[in-house]
Amino acid sequence: MIKLKINGRDVQVDAEPDTPLLWAIRDEVGLTGTKFGCGIGMCGACTVHVGGQATRSCITTLASVDGSEITTIEGLNPANNHPLQAAWQALRVPQCGYCQSGQIMQAAALLNDIPNPSDDDIDAVMTGNLCRCMTYPRIRQAVRQAAAAKREV
Amino acid sequence: MFKQKFSKKTGDLSQLTRRGFLVAMTATGAMFGFRGPAHAAMTLSSSEGLPTGTDGETFEPTLWYGIDQNGQVNVNIIRAEMGQHVGTAIARILADELEVNWQDVQITHVDSGEKWGLMVTGGSWSVWQSWPIYRQAGAAGRTALIAAAAQKWGIDPTECQARGGVITGGGKSISYGDIVATGLSRRFSEDELKALPLKPNSEFRLVGKDVTALDIANKTNGQAIYGIDAKIKGMVYGVPLLPPTRIGSSVVSIDDSGAEGMKGYLKTLPLDDPSGTVPGWVVVLGTSLMAAKKAAQQVVVNWRAGDTAAVSEDDIQAHARQLIDDPNVGAILDTGNTDTATAFEQSSSSLEAEYTTSTVLHFQLEPVNATAFRNDEGVWEIHTGNQWQSLILPALAKALAVAENKVIMRTYMLGGGFGRRLNGDYAVPAALASKAMGGKPVKLVLFREDDALFDSPRSPSVQKLRMAFDQQKSIIGMEHHAAAGWPTQVMVPSFMPKGTNGVPYDPFAIDGADHWYSVGAQLVRPISNDLANRTFRPGWLRSVGPGWTHFAVESFMDEAAHKIGANPLTFRLDHLIAEGYNAGSAPNAVGGAARQAAVLKRVATLSNYNSAELEKDTAIGIATTFGQSRTMPTWVGGAVKVHVDRASGVVNVQKVWLVFDCGTVIDPDGARAQCEGAALWGLSMALYEGTRIENSNVRDRNLNTYTPLRMIDTPEMEIEFIESTEAPVGLGEPGTTVIAPAIANAIYNAVGVRMRHLPISPNDILAALSES
Amino acid sequence: MKKRKSFFAKWLGRIFWVLILGVLAYSIYAYNPSIEPMAANSLPTYDPAVIERGRQMAAAGYCAVCHTEQGGAPYAGNYAMETGFGTIYSTNITPDREQGIGRWSEAAFTRAMREGVDREGRHLFPAFPYNHFAKMSEQDIVAIYAYIMTQVQPVQVPQRNNELPFPLNWRYLQAGWKLISVDLKPYQPDPEKSALWNRGAYLVEGVTHCGACHTPRNAVGAERNSDKFEGAIIDDWVAPALSANNESSLTWSAAEFSEYLKTGATRQHGVAVGPMAPVVHAGLRELSDKDLTAIGIYLADSAGSADSEATSAALIAASLEQSKPRQSHRWDTGERLYATACASCHYNAEQIALGRPELGINSAIHLKQPDNLIHVMLDGVDNQDGIAGVVMPGFRDALSDQEMALIAAYVRSSRTDKTPWPELQQKITEIRKSTQYKRGN
Repeated sequence: MIKLKINGRDVQVDAEPDTPLLWAIRDEVGLTGTKFGCGIGMCGACTVHVGGQATRSCITTLASVDGSEITTIEGLNPANNHPLQAAWQALRVPQCGYCQSGQIMQAAALLNDIPNPSDDDIDAVMTGNLCRCMTYPRIRQAVRQAAAAKREV
Repeated sequence: MFKQKFSKKTGDLSQLTRRGFLVAMTATGAMFGFRGPAHAAMTLSSSEGLPTGTDGETFEPTLWYGIDQNGQVNVNIIRAEMGQHVGTAIARILADELEVNWQDVQITHVDSGEKWGLMVTGGSWSVWQSWPIYRQAGAAGRTALIAAAAQKWGIDPTECQARGGVITGGGKSISYGDIVATGLSRRFSEDELKALPLKPNSEFRLVGKDVTALDIANKTNGQAIYGIDAKIKGMVYGVPLLPPTRIGSSVVSIDDSGAEGMKGYLKTLPLDDPSGTVPGWVVVLGTSLMAAKKAAQQVVVNWRAGDTAAVSEDDIQAHARQLIDDPNVGAILDTGNTDTATAFEQSSSSLEAEYTTSTVLHFQLEPVNATAFRNDEGVWEIHTGNQWQSLILPALAKALAVAENKVIMRTYMLGGGFGRRLNGDYAVPAALASKAMGGKPVKLVLFREDDALFDSPRSPSVQKLRMAFDQQKSIIGMEHHAAAGWPTQVMVPSFMPKGTNGVPYDPFAIDGADHWYSVGAQLVRPISNDLANRTFRPGWLRSVGPGWTHFAVESFMDEAAHKIGANPLTFRLDHLIAEGYNAGSAPNAVGGAARQAAVLKRVATLSNYNSAELEKDTAIGIATTFGQSRTMPTWVGGAVKVHVDRASGVVNVQKVWLVFDCGTVIDPDGARAQCEGAALWGLSMALYEGTRIENSNVRDRNLNTYTPLRMIDTPEMEIEFIESTEAPVGLGEPGTTVIAPAIANAIYNAVGVRMRHLPISPNDILAALSES
Repeated sequence: MKKRKSFFAKWLGRIFWVLILGVLAYSIYAYNPSIEPMAANSLPTYDPAVIERGRQMAAAGYCAVCHTEQGGAPYAGNYAMETGFGTIYSTNITPDREQGIGRWSEAAFTRAMREGVDREGRHLFPAFPYNHFAKMSEQDIVAIYAYIMTQVQPVQVPQRNNELPFPLNWRYLQAGWKLISVDLKPYQPDPEKSALWNRGAYLVEGVTHCGACHTPRNAVGAERNSDKFEGAIIDDWVAPALSANNESSLTWSAAEFSEYLKTGATRQHGVAVGPMAPVVHAGLRELSDKDLTAIGIYLADSAGSADSEATSAALIAASLEQSKPRQSHRWDTGERLYATACASCHYNAEQIALGRPELGINSAIHLKQPDNLIHVMLDGVDNQDGIAGVVMPGFRDALSDQEMALIAAYVRSSRTDKTPWPELQQKITEIRKSTQYKRGN
């Protein structure tokens, strides 16, 4: 039995220790906002926060996160109104939307570590997140806009 | 046209839509443990994604929407949502004509019941086809409501005005909801609908304005529900083991002893498929997806491979060249004077070039999946994201050995379509697995590598272009021979029109070659590459054939201009003459070549094409295309600035300019978003994306070797739309096609080498540079 | 004629006698008497402060780490140690009277810690680092005894049989090993050095036994005092040098040593993973800040003088510059994979964030051997490792050996001026195979 704290709630997961965290979150805990894309940690659709750091959950084993605190897109903001979510909506970033949970979680971690990112910083950190609809120009803009909004707070 | 050809005659499934067991396309607000049975219709606008449905009395002037006594308008959408905010685009057409406020509108994506007619989302058709229908539907509601109010007040309807869901007249006013509450049941016939007066464009209040897209909020908080998120009580999970060839393989033996006893392993099923969709498939079932996956890794299957097991991309391309060299194969398109033989005989000089493109994967981010089960009414339900329900329903019925009215599809959000989900083949194995389990719900998920293996990729292509010039260096003839795998032939052959020589052809594999340049005699010959068709399932992939035909045509136009010493821009404009075959026609192609010339001129100005002062080995290339086809052209002008590093062969795309004329712009921001995405797809396929067929299968199956464009590769883009009141045409695809030829032309302008293969790789550039 | 003993026979005889005497002397030397078992319920009463001190000391000596098998009860033994000579299983040191040390008196425990001899007089294998514990004060040893005997749950688990080949399994010979290999004298303070330095030295040489991993061993497995802290391979991981030969980009300062041993990470060097992870998380972090400061001072002295601020800043700036995204990244496979699989977590802007290890100055990238980097690429960093609560996923099932080799080679060549790691891919294949157990495959 692996113990986790997901979005502030204690959960126990009865799954094999080598089960990827992604599938535990989706199929055992039932939170489907975190998506499966490539399964090799190279598209970012499965990005969640572990201890506040963006983490590719598709290759993170359940055993390795025993006892840790996890945040998924559903728990990023209690009102679903994180500055990034607001910017994402204002700029109508999502197209199919499938990668956007991961994009937003990756961007949230980015802003925690780099509150005032340059375009180079955004490119370096966000290039690991694939968007097949290619909404990249808007993602870039939304990250900048959210960073500005966060600074004003 | 499309619609009439494919309207299904099956039983009435409409009651099913009322039962409230449609699966939620957007989850409830529950953050935790939401795993109960889904209970919502696929309603996008409601606060927590729950269906608000309609309240009390409801007025349904047509099939397409209802207004309840609170004035809430629920719009029925048959198109799949895959990123184009299609429901928002269509509902706004209706809401504008109906004269209601946007906040009173919600959207329901309907199931595949027969009453909805043909269900397909592709070809950039959605808005174009919906435009007249939803305007008429809106006008019908407005007319009926005004009539009811006028009657109530005892005044003439012409004295009444509708605005924002309220009717005013004779000093009184009443809301739509209040009229509906009194009971209103007027229905309109087809003829009545056609006769209704429509608003003039100047009166548009929602069309052409930015409104909130109803699907976006839930795509930022994890509540949007895709096929892979489907939850059905009691479901088990399936992971397939794919045969060595897409077609013609059969199972010889299965040994699952390695999986026996593994936690959660249920069983291994060889699929018996009467529809022939997935020959040789084996599905491993487990109580969780990971259990099925882990067990599948331990199951050993022996197959007898189909006869294409050793086929490579080189074989397919070599076969294409043989076909092109054989004048007796292929169809001839009706392009007016097709007697190019005479033109070439009379020519004083000519130009010939071959262009090739590699296989391209869809790589839509949500791998294909489907959940299937037999419900309490004995109807098979298929829960999945799909673009062409009407195409796969007959195959599903055949696979399940039931009548078509015993199968219904519930379309979830699509984690990317791009044409992959036009082919619903992935739903069949889910249905077969459930059938083998007596109707128990089975969710079948293809992991990424399997998704790539089972893709219907964009076929590799070979094209030969020829041009004949007279002594004055004027073009007197042009030929375009294009050989590729044909998606329409392998998936829906009845859709193929016939050429002037009586040979059927896949229009999607040749659109674009029938360009709007006046070139004298013109021969366009699409050829089906039967080896490609037998080796894999060629797919429709964002813009399909125009992805390669325009690359050839627009590269060739630059080559021709350079050959005769003309400026590529002037050369094009000189041949874009809106006369005869290229004059254009109402309603969709009004203006013809003149509108194409206009976007080209505009983009040349924007990009400063002829006069920009650039650094060494840096240049701008231009191209102009139209999409999706001659019958519904969105006119595109494109310019790309590149720098080529001579030492490494690396092309750095510095800026992209695009000008579109798509007629009336319904959703300005959505239109821009589609064009941005399409253009970047074009860039990705021009420089970064491509695979090869090796031993009958695609070589690259995941992101470790398949390398689509990412954020860091995204150049600066400047996009402009021509203001127009013409009929709106599609935007999902046209932006894709202009980029590759513009890049190839820019590379030539920068360093003098002509790249005739996609994707253009640094190695190819280095090789070309060392040759020149 | 009187038969003379041949010269040869005479000498043979002498050698015989010498041998007999030698064996006798050795036996006397090697012989240790059994210490009387302690009677039940006769454990002295200990002051709570002593017990608390014992808890800290037991943690600092990682007693539980080596005396607990995976999933087993604390201190119940059977932790397998691959010594290079064979596998040894640790003993049950819970206060259980049958299987543990419940019958051991203070004297027996102290003798074991000081001399490597159990209560019954049998020699202990040097996998038990009594050569270090011998440096400890009697007070500290007794405190550990007090802690174990009063706070640890007795567990009746028998010890597994060691898997040592003959004659290494002959404990009698261990006495000889002691004779030639170790110095069992208690720690002698160096009057030239500060009190804190001496405190650090006392802890490092004694209870924390750093040298057990960080000092290379000779042919018979003893620490080579001439190469003290020069680094060694332990459990397939590199225990880097703690001397001036440490290969890190930035020289370790006293403050960083202390921070690292308290938290499991520093911005300038990286995180504690592999066998080092429990050293921090199950061990040293329990020490007082003052003790950790003392250890830092001692180790920093060993590592040589720290870089000037300007030097550090320049090295960090160079590393940050090297990690800037390049548009041409995709045309080098290693760089492309790095950009898509690694950079999102390892990229830093102007400041290095703690949770974003900056690879250009990360110790693993600069080591002579790639082992540590390979381990982390394969199996990541668990919640129990490195920074508390933060993990890195492993790419074992995601990337091939070749792909990992390309990434490692790219990082090495782009971020350091060191020579390329030879036979990288082969090394990855080996480590992947040898560590499969970790994933239960």
